Order: sequence, then structure tokens, then C-alpha cells
Amino acid sequence: MTAAMGVVAAGSRQHRRRQIIGWALFALVVALIPFLIADTYSPTIFGNRYTVGLGNLSQAIGLMVAILGLNIATGYSGQLSLGHSFFVGSGAYLTAVLVNDFHWSYLATLGVVVPGLFLFGVLFGIPALRIQGLYLGLLTFAVAAVFPSIIRLDEVADRTGGSNGLLIDSDLEAPTWAPLEKVTEWLHAIPGVGSRVPEGLTDRQEEAVYKYFLLVMVALVCFWLVRNILAGRVGRALVAIRDNPLGAAANGVNLPAYKTLSFGISAAVGGVAGTMLAMHSGFVGPDEFGFSMAILLIVGLIVGGSGTLHGAVVGGLAIQFVPHWSSQTQTLPGTDVALEGPYGTAILGGLLIVIIFALPGGASHGFRKIKSRLMPVAPQPPRG
Amino acid sequence: MSAEYLEVRGLKAAYGNIQVLHGIDFSVAEGQIAVILGANGAGKTTTLRALCAMVSTEGSIRLAGEELAGHRTADIVRRGVAHVPQGRGTFPDLSVEENLMAGAFVRSDTDVRDDVERWYETFPVLGERRKQAAGSLSGGEQQMLAIARALMLRPSLLLLDEPSLGLAPMITRSLFEQLTVINAEAGTTMLVVEQNASLALGVADKAYVLEAGEVALSGPADDLAADDNVRRAYLGY
Amino acid sequence: MGSLASVLGVFDISLDKLSDGELWLAQFFRGLSDGATYASVALALVMIYKSTGFINFAQGSLALLGVYLVYVFSVEQGLPVAVAVVCAMVASAAVAMFIERVFIRPFPPDHVLPLVIVTLGLLLIIDSAVGIVWGFRTRSLPSMFPRGAPIEWGIAQLTWRTIGNLGTVVAVVALLYLLLSRTKVGLAFRAVSSNLESARLVGIRVGPTLGFGWALAAAIGTLGGALVVPDLLLEPSIMLRVLIFSLAAAALGGLDSMAGAVLGGLVVGLARNLLVTFLDLSELALATAVGVILVVLLVRPTGLFGSTRVERV
Repeated sequence: MTAAMGVVAAGSRQHRRRQIIGWALFALVVALIPFLIADTYSPTIFGNRYTVGLGNLSQAIGLMVAILGLNIATGYSGQLSLGHSFFVGSGAYLTAVLVNDFHWSYLATLGVVVPGLFLFGVLFGIPALRIQGLYLGLLTFAVAAVFPSIIRLDEVADRTGGSNGLLIDSDLEAPTWAPLEKVTEWLHAIPGVGSRVPEGLTDRQEEAVYKYFLLVMVALVCFWLVRNILAGRVGRALVAIRDNPLGAAANGVNLPAYKTLSFGISAAVGGVAGTMLAMHSGFVGPDEFGFSMAILLIVGLIVGGSGTLHGAVVGGLAIQFVPHWSSQTQTLPGTDVALEGPYGTAILGGLLIVIIFALPGGASHGFRKIKSRLMPVAPQPPRG
Repeated sequence: MSAEYLEVRGLKAAYGNIQVLHGIDFSVAEGQIAVILGANGAGKTTTLRALCAMVSTEGSIRLAGEELAGHRTADIVRRGVAHVPQGRGTFPDLSVEENLMAGAFVRSDTDVRDDVERWYETFPVLGERRKQAAGSLSGGEQQMLAIARALMLRPSLLLLDEPSLGLAPMITRSLFEQLTVINAEAGTTMLVVEQNASLALGVADKAYVLEAGEVALSGPADDLAADDNVRRAYLGY
Repeated sequence: MGSLASVLGVFDISLDKLSDGELWLAQFFRGLSDGATYASVALALVMIYKSTGFINFAQGSLALLGVYLVYVFSVEQGLPVAVAVVCAMVASAAVAMFIERVFIRPFPPDHVLPLVIVTLGLLLIIDSAVGIVWGFRTRSLPSMFPRGAPIEWGIAQLTWRTIGNLGTVVAVVALLYLLLSRTKVGLAFRAVSSNLESARLVGIRVGPTLGFGWALAAAIGTLGGALVVPDLLLEPSIMLRVLIFSLAAAALGGLDSMAGAVLGGLVVGLARNLLVTFLDLSELALATAVGVILVVLLVRPTGLFGSTRVERV
């Protein structure tokens, strides 16, 4: 192989340094963004004024985790699940009821949501064993559509709030030890960049920034756990099942057990995403978790890149910010079309089709291709 | 030597990145039967599929002097090329009779009905089951139906992909007899891919042996049947 | 007897209701009427599934678009409703043909999963487009059939609408049967559905044939929508429920059986109305449909009439 400029051997010190720098930059951005947009960020692009608040980002983080969960059942083990919103909604409502009626703290509800939804996912996965491919898609599609009407049932409406939804009666005030105020002051003092950061945080901003960091933490834990699960035996089994079920079974992979397990993990992660979304907005409503969310999660999965962890991040950002962008576009450049209302959904639908056409691996696959062009890494044979 | 009816030059074919045919040449004269022999994976089926534009190809395929390459399957069929694919050449959900009608899909003449009756005479078992779904027939009956279905086109060139596959030896022999009769009566040019080399060489005028996507041997069928290498490799004696 | 009453009490069932013959009959008629509409959309789903092997999740959206076109032709342009329905069927068939040509045909037909995802994208696009063009205000759509009921037994009315809905579905099934079994394009469509490769090899142009299937399915779906919407109010999310009930009907009948779709539609329509009336399960009506899908897929995945076929995913 010719030694092209900048090719780095995988696993070499240089490569590791580059990886560490990459992650450090990522961490820095994640840590600084809330302070930069705590006061909402309003750029004007092509004559349109856009407003991005920290809340939008927090919502996107919840959606990333939801897509991460879907990725396990659909992206990694290849079971077409069009009803992931059911798990997300169940998690959100479980959290809302526990916080409201039993005065639990948000994070404590995860102790019920995770095992509860894992069990629920496993229970759902058992009949799903006999139902494959399209038929599973058909069933889960219907399941997604039915969630709002279950929430509205008279028998549960006094707990779930029925059609009105449920306002969650709990604040997430930043604890006194959190140095959010101090950090804001420091950042503000930095010459140049500092002018973007407010002098201090109002109580509401402080709560938003604190929530953001909580959500980032939960999301990081989820991604880390899922990454470890998928990197090991379970992950290999799931991918084997997706790519060649017969071959996997012939090699001793217990198909029913792993498929059910994948539904369990997928549902548990979906439930956590529900908790996060409830935490973020302090409100749960039946129609939020209907079949539109189910389809948007599929859009996020495919657009980001099915079967990759980065894909969930890209997908979450896409399904949050594409509609957000379009709803604030008063005049599309070069035309006088306002992209309000349902345009965002239509654009996501178009994006979905375009990605299937042009980038079957999803956007994250595309990014990686570009990255490998710019920063090539030569794979090394394992030593020993 | 009579004018070549089918003339193939430099035919290449690939499934995705996998090149299966590496530029083969062959030809069949009008009214003759040619057979393609070869081991599994040599590219025999791909050759037939290439002639019908069922795989992506390069090279020249001339039928009666007209270039077929670049045309779509439906247009090639309209030029009189019928293809009996390996194994499942019928429409399992359609009745036997509807299968035959479908075979005449591109014909607009009024003799279609007569032809249906004609193949019922040739293959009486099909006539007995004309209202039955093709999927309910036995393997041998389905193979007969697939061939009759292809002949409903009144093809000038008939491509047969392993017609003997899965058939009892008796049935195979009578099938090949039928094919020679049809060849003699209608003057239909035939290109047959066959594992049963001795039977195929017995009816063929000309034979090609494919190896790994290239023509390894070719010549009059009788010569090849007498060739020691061919005998050892394909005839087994 | 006492224990029976207490069991029934749990479900809010009163014995009075159960022994009310007129109520049964009334719900039976309503069920048939609803069932006829589910049957139409289920027929459309089955046509696509039979020929292509995938479920067109955008079928409800195409019907939605069709119903809005009925609204445009009848209420806005003042055409008689029946004429408006025919115009809308033709228009939605044209849209479906365009969609098939542009969004479906470029994909290899034997990879089902990308195609299913594409239909989900189409669902989002069509539903939003309807919202963009016509807004979210509810509108009322006139029925093709006159009001009133020629036959009445107390509260049980056999209305013109019920008769009309059932008659329309019977006519559609009959015409479809003739079209598919007696015409050349019908033969081509069934040949493509049965064996794609052999269909190519007899010279059938597969693409246009599938386009024809899409057009036919869209027209039938539009007709189904035009039957159901006059009982409800027209707004952009209306076809979702119909789609779910129709999916249940199609699953019940066997996804690849047209006769099964019709019967499944009627059964789902009846079951829905009887359950809602006698068990007071109005919010659970949709869940019942999901239950039907689940039970059918578990117990008899091929439905009542479907043929066993190899799962292509």
C-alpha cells in the first residue's frame, strides 16, 4: 500500500490521539452548548429568523435514546417494529404517574421503568416470535395507533389524564452544589466568545441547563450500555440473526431467546427515552406517543443509519430539528413559500425516501465515508 | 454451413460485482438444437438469462441478424425468444389453461385457442387438469406445463434450462423425444442447458462446454460425444 | 344466574340490551355498512400485497387524498356526488400510477423492506400534503346515497346508505373479478403476482402492470373512503382508523385473498359495532382490531383464505 499523507494505522498511538481529540472536542461542544443557547439562539439565515432553545436540544436527546432503542430491535436484529412509540409512551406515562401520584423523583422512576418495560418488551416479544417480517410490521403499526386510545380509557383516565394529558407536578431545580451559575460567569468573562453567553442564569434557564445535563448523562449511560451489550456476545448473535437467521440457528444461536431479549432491551431503552421526554417537557399527552411518533422514529432510524450508534444521534437531531427548522421558515430562499404547519413532516417523508434511494446506510454512513476520505485510517491485522 | 440464427459474440455477464461470464462466443444455426454442458457454476443458466436480458450483460447477441443486446426482456420475447427457466417456470396460482394463455400473452392472432388444444393433445395430462391450479401439479407435470407455456409463444428460439431437472428418467426421455418432434415439425431453433449430457448430446446438433464462464470446448454434438475428455467429465464412461 | 349478572356487570352489559332484538338488528346493519367500507380499503391493500409482496402503508393516505378530491369535485365544483366519486377515483388512480412509477419502480421488487419504508415516507408526504392544501378544519362530505330508510323495524333501520355501501362493494368485487379473470391486463396482473420472473419471460411488461395494480387499488380505496367518510367528518387524520380496521380485515381474510378481504371487512365491521354497543368499548374499538390482527397472526398467519407463501422479508 502506498503511504498516503495522513494515513494512520488503526490502534497506533497517533490514531488513538486523534480519537481522544475527537471525543474531547465532542465533550466540549456538548458541555458548552447549553450556556451558548440558554438564552435561546436566534440566527438569521437567508432572511429567516430562527429561534433555537435549549429545550429543543433536550427533546432531541430524548428522541436519540428512543431511536437507540428501536435500533436494537430493528436496526441490529432486523425485526420491523413500527410500534416503538408504544414503549416510549409507556415509559413516559409510567414516569408521569409515579412522579405525580407517588411523589417519586424523575430519575428514581427509572428503577421501575427499566425493569417494567424490559418485562413488557419480553412479553411482547414472545408472540412476535411467531410473527415475522412484514406481518410484525403490520401488527406493531396497529399497536402504535392504539396507544392513545388506551390512555384515554375511562378506567385509567383519572390517572393518565385522558385526552387532556398530564401536567407533571415536579420541578427539576438545580441542586445547590451544581456550579452552573459560576460556569456561566466564567464563560461570560472569556473575551470574544463570552459575549454570546449571558451574564447570569435566570431560575428558568438554570433549570433548563440542569435538565439538559441530566438528560445528557442518562443518554450517555444508555449509549454506553447499549454499545457494550452490542459489542459482545448478544450483539454478535443479534446481527447474525438479522443477516442469516438459519445460519445463526445452525451455529447454536438460540433464536427465540435472543429475539425476545432484543425486544426486551429495545423496550427498556424506549422506556428510558419516555422518561427523558417526560422529564424534558413536564407534560405527557396521549397523541404525542401515537403512530406519528412511531413513524418519525423509523424516519430517524433510517435517516441516521440503521444498525449504527451514531445513526441514533443523527436521527434524533433530524426528526427534532427538520420540523423545527421548517416551522420557522417564513420564506423559503428564492421563493415566497412559508414552510409552516405540516411541511416539516412532508420534508421528513421526502428525506426518508431520498436516503433509501441514495444512501442506504443512512446519513452517518455518509459522514463516515467523508471522514475516511479526509482522515484515512489503515486497518491493522490483529497482533499475536 | 447454414446461416447462424443466433450469434453471440463476447458475452459477459455479472451479478453485482461477481463476473460470471467472461466473454463467450457461440452460435446456433436456424432450426438446429444446440446444447450447453458444464459443471455447476460454470455459467450455463446465466448464459440463458443473459440472452433474455435477465442479468446485466455486455457483448453482442444477434438473432436473425438483429441485435438483442440492450433490449428489455419483454421486447426480446416479442421477437420470438421463449425461455423455460430452471425449476419454477409456471404460474402456480393460475390454472393450467391460464398458464398457457399467459404464454401467448404477446400474440395477437386468433389461433391461440387452437394451440392450447394442440398442447393438450401433446401432453394429455395437462388437458385433464386444465382447470387445476398449476401449483397443484406434480414436478413433471409442471415441467411439461412450463415447456408448453413457452411453446405457446410460437417461438423461433426456445431456451431450455435443465428441462430434465427432477424428472424421472422415463419422463425425461419422452420429453426429449417431444422436443425433437417439435424441432422437426416447427423448425424451432433450440438452445438447451442440460446436466444429462448423454441424452442432450443425443438430440443436439452442436454442443458447447462451459468452464468457469468461458467456452472450453465446442463442436458438432457427435464429435463431442466421442471426445474422451468430454466423455470422462460429463458422460461418465 | 346471579353470578352471570355480576360478570356481565363488570363489562357494563345489561341483560335488557342483550335481549333487545331490534338493537341487535340495528347494530348488525351498521356493522355491515362499516364492514363494506373496510372491505374496500382491505381489497386495495390485498391487491398491492398480492402483486408486490409488501403492505402499502400509504394506502390509507391515498384514499384520504381521494376523499378530499371527492370533496373538491362535489362540494366545491358542484358535481353530483356519484360523478365526483368517479372523477376522484380516476384522479387518485393517476396519482397512484405516478407514485408507483417514480417512487416504487426504481427499487428491485424482490427487496421488500426498503419498499415498505418508502410507503411509510409516502404516508408522511401525502398526509402532510393534504393538511397543507386543505388545512385541518373538519368538513362534511355528502353521501352518494339518499337519506332515509326503506325498511324499518323499530330502531333497526336498513338505510339507503347501508344498502348502497353493501351494493357498491358487491359491484366492485364483481367488476374486479371480471377484470382480473376475463381481460388480458387482468391475466397479466395475476401472472405478475404469481411469478414475477415467468411473467417477464412471457413478455409481460412488469412495471406498467404493477402501475395498473396501484391505480386500481387507489381507485378502490378512494371509493371505500367515499363510502365511509359521510358517516364521519372529513379531516386529515380520518383514514388512519379506517386503515387499522382494514389492515385487521385484510389480516383476518389472509393478506393475499381478495375474497378474504371482503369477508374480513364485514366481520371486522360487525364485530366492532357489536362490541361497542354491547360491551361499551368505544375507546377499545381500535384495540379490538389490534387484538384481531394479533390473534390471527398467532393462530393462523395465512388468515381465513390466504395461501401459504414463503415470507419474502
